[in-house]
Amino acid sequence: MTIEVSVFYFAKSAELTGLKSETIRVASELTTVELWQGLVSRHPRLSAVRDSVVLAVRQEYLALGDVRVSLRDGDEVAVIPPLSGG
Amino acid sequence: MSAEGDPRDLVKLTHDKLSVDTVSDSVTCPSCGAISIFIGTTRDSFEGMKVMQLEYEAYIPMAESELRKIYTDIRARWPTVRHICVHHRLGVVPVTEASVIIGISSPHRGDSLEAVQYCIDTLKATVPIWKKEVYEADESCWKENKECQWTCQS
Repeated sequence: MTIEVSVFYFAKSAELTGLKSETIRVASELTTVELWQGLVSRHPRLSAVRDSVVLAVRQEYLALGDVRVSLRDGDEVAVIPPLSGG
Repeated sequence: MSAEGDPRDLVKLTHDKLSVDTVSDSVTCPSCGAISIFIGTTRDSFEGMKVMQLEYEAYIPMAESELRKIYTDIRARWPTVRHICVHHRLGVVPVTEASVIIGISSPHRGDSLEAVQYCIDTLKATVPIWKKEVYEADESCWKENKECQWTCQS
């Protein structure tokens, strides 16, 4: 089953995609690395930051890997480069 | 000055210039003998290159929720802490101006001093805010805090 989620891009990832946000259709059950691969297939330049980003799903950090997520319509996903606040 | 009341957890992300007085006033309370303040300012050079400008962006709702998680940790570890306030600037920040101000009040100075240190250290590791340094000749660099677990160690 596929659902629609909002994806937010920040810092370097926003520069690589040229976007601050978009809405995409994805499977409702998938791993974080599969979710990432879906983003890279839309924006190949994102692969440059593969080793330095994590994702945020519903505003919780998740590493890229075999982490399974259950997504619902309207969920927020974000690409999170290394932080530099403070 | 504020009257005694419930403990305050204050967060502000703003494009406006930050004010130490505002942060200090927001955590002042009659039962507290200590207010500890940390100010993070922007430097004018990095590895010999002159920084012309700094730009901050944030995943705003998650930055607020991560800051509130830090506040919960602070209150668990230093239960005498009274009020907590973090102001972080977004957008363009001129060199030497404050990018972040943290204010924490407590009856005695030990807890607020330690809590402020914990607050800035944890903010740098967990709050989704990013800084870009812009150098001469239009070069720029997204900074990476060493405190952040997914910063590449190179």
